[in-house]
Amino acid sequence: MMQVFRIAHREYMENVKTKGFWIGIIIFPILIWMMIELPKFLEERGIPTRHLVIVDRSEGLGEIARQRITLLNRQKTLDAFQQHIAEATKEQRKQKMDEVDIDPDQLLDKLEQGLDQLGNPDLEIQPFKPDQLVKIGDLLPEQMLLNDLQWNNIKKLLLSQLPEDAAEFTEPPLRFKEVPLPEGVSLTDGDQQIEEALRPYLRSEMMLESGDEEVELFGLLIIPEDTLEPEARVRFWSSNLADTDLIDAVLNSLSEEARKREYDRRGIESKAVAEVASMRVRSIKFNPNKSEGDEKVGIRDKIRQYAPIGFVYMLWVAIFTIAQMLLNNTIEEKSNRLIEVLLSSVTTTELLLGKVFGVAAVGVTMQCAWIGSLIGILMYKAGPSATWIADLIAAVITPELLGGFVFYFIAGYFFYAFLFAGIGSICNTIKEAQNFMSPLMLLMMVPLGTMTFIPNDPNGAIATTLSWIPPWTPFVMMNRMAASPPASEIYGTAIMLLISIVVVFWLSAKIFRIGVLRSGQPPKLLELFRWLRGSHS
Amino acid sequence: MDMKTSPIELINVSKTYGDFKAVDDISFTVPEGTICGFLGPNGAGKTTSIRMMLDILRPSSGTISILGAPRALDVRSRIGYLPEEKGLYKKMTATAMIAYFATLKGVPGREAKRIAGELLEKYGLGSFQNHKCEALSKGMGQKVQVLASIAHDPDLVILDEPFSGLDPVNQGVMEEVIQDIRSRGKTILFSTHVMSHAEKICERVVIMAAGRLAFDGTVDEAKSLLPRRVRVKGEGAAAALELMQDVTDSSPSSDGREGVVEFQLREGADPQQLLKRAFEQGVSLEIFEVVDPNLHEVFVHLVGEEAREAAFR
Repeated sequence: MMQVFRIAHREYMENVKTKGFWIGIIIFPILIWMMIELPKFLEERGIPTRHLVIVDRSEGLGEIARQRITLLNRQKTLDAFQQHIAEATKEQRKQKMDEVDIDPDQLLDKLEQGLDQLGNPDLEIQPFKPDQLVKIGDLLPEQMLLNDLQWNNIKKLLLSQLPEDAAEFTEPPLRFKEVPLPEGVSLTDGDQQIEEALRPYLRSEMMLESGDEEVELFGLLIIPEDTLEPEARVRFWSSNLADTDLIDAVLNSLSEEARKREYDRRGIESKAVAEVASMRVRSIKFNPNKSEGDEKVGIRDKIRQYAPIGFVYMLWVAIFTIAQMLLNNTIEEKSNRLIEVLLSSVTTTELLLGKVFGVAAVGVTMQCAWIGSLIGILMYKAGPSATWIADLIAAVITPELLGGFVFYFIAGYFFYAFLFAGIGSICNTIKEAQNFMSPLMLLMMVPLGTMTFIPNDPNGAIATTLSWIPPWTPFVMMNRMAASPPASEIYGTAIMLLISIVVVFWLSAKIFRIGVLRSGQPPKLLELFRWLRGSHS
Repeated sequence: MDMKTSPIELINVSKTYGDFKAVDDISFTVPEGTICGFLGPNGAGKTTSIRMMLDILRPSSGTISILGAPRALDVRSRIGYLPEEKGLYKKMTATAMIAYFATLKGVPGREAKRIAGELLEKYGLGSFQNHKCEALSKGMGQKVQVLASIAHDPDLVILDEPFSGLDPVNQGVMEEVIQDIRSRGKTILFSTHVMSHAEKICERVVIMAAGRLAFDGTVDEAKSLLPRRVRVKGEGAAAALELMQDVTDSSPSSDGREGVVEFQLREGADPQQLLKRAFEQGVSLEIFEVVDPNLHEVFVHLVGEEAREAAFR
């Protein structure tokens, strides 16, 4: 047993010392971090204010478009503002982790009350709770955002509620800003003339003057006189047509206006139409597996149902990276004949077990680092702007999922590790090993293929059948774990899996014993069978 | 250890692979405290025998006793082994590599590191202690491997072709290493097909050919298998000495040098009689030398035919 430990220890230390191991450990949290941070970063800094020229030939439609553009700008500021509040109240909210149910109507009333009192120094403003401060941004109606005075007051009111040591709020740059036509071009010119004149600006060959700075022209929007007629087309020029936010928003606002006017023309009350359009038939979902009073299916349950997919991926990647590691260094030891020296000191079984355990320890270290950093990042990031993270954590950190993951990781690893070590022992080069690996790879692809449909029918016939096939048991059962499969199946497949691990160990120990000392061509299948029958030794 | 048991004892050992007899009924013993050469042409079954001694392979029949134990693994901490094909963990340092193999033999980790450092220092690799094995030259790597196999101070050291691939200087170092082990009262068995090494440092030799034992005994005993020879050079020497049938065994033959002739001596014959005869006959001798057969000649004599057969097999 001591020998097994010594071999495992060396295997572990040598692997842990490699650059690949540390790159693997570090790259995962970096990727997760980037996945969370990158979109925000791009939004904040990556996209500068976009300048555009609006040529409005219609009556009033330009204003509607401009209002929508203002709304886009305000929403961006509001996001930044909410982020700021969340940041400033982080400490307070951490201390009070218990969730407060927030009633939207009450909160809005409270806001209006606060706004009324804002101008009057005699009146004491009823303090907002940190959670409320964060939440309120989600509730603001459009009219409030569009009303300059109200918008400024809201900002003033909420900022006054922040702790005194809070950083100052800096407004982010606008998303879109309208600029006047350049000199020498006038609104009275024809569309074609304007388009011709602005072409070099749109191609960034010339810069526009806006205030005292020179800016690039992002787009030109021409709203024709007869915009609301069916044949009319709003003309939008931009060298970046992939960014459709602006034109989509403008078209939406104009379409709304068109509909409103059409309703009026037909004598239909547009408000009534909006009310009718907002009607929805809703459902509540129940899960019979949950305890009484708790059967309602919420967002967490949805995440819970699909979270195992993530685990299966991780399981798969982890098992095959480290089993591959094992294959590689078995071949290394074999090809440089170190195995012979080792075998004068230890038995083949000790060697096989030592290697498998050592590499397993490497894998476990890597997994712990990954899961640890994942949970760490999620905890750190868990905030108002990302309530889904809290849901995810709550959904993932459950005994079934984590326990299942640990068990299936270990069991699945051993199953494949013994298989790979056996293959490694009969091959002298990675190339030779590949011949044996290809059928194995096909076998391994199956659970990946079934991964997405199993959550839809986790206790169905296919899932149940696949669960009983040992090479697939870890992945399929992991996938089903959230759906509370029957206990008999959990234990039955687990026992089946454990038995097959023992069988695979026995077979590969036998092959290993003969294979490691053999040089030259890998054996033919028939020869392998003879080894297993024991007629060669 | 019981003084009466030999470190290595093989009795009627055979190893067959299907119809092929790799080792065919060999028996020999190696006494304690000796350096024993294990000789034989390629394919004679040396490596297979060594693997069986180490319990890496099980014999098909016969019994093996190593340091008094029926299985080498029972006494593995007292055995050191260097296999024929040498390899190192490329990414490990020389010290770590030696220490690792010592710990597998039961030396505590800290102690193993210390010994590894000392050994490297002693055999001229002190400045390479922390070099990775992949950075070592072939000769250095092979030294490191040998040191790894003896770091736990084993009572029995088995070296499979320790000299192969080494330059003459490092071959000398290897001989030194082997002598050092011997001087501590340990037993060494090493295989080679370079006879000069065996002749220089071995007390005993075991010679195998085509799976069978061809010879087992001391080097002197091996040499006595062939007659001694006398080489003479001088006007009329050949004619004068040819007649002494009771001393020489053959008609004279040339040994390649101009004018030198060679006679084989009969067993127990005194070469002084030849000298006397030449003196009596008035032959003036330029050269008169008595030559012992060397191991190479004994080897070729013993395995020559079979080696050629083996080469064609």
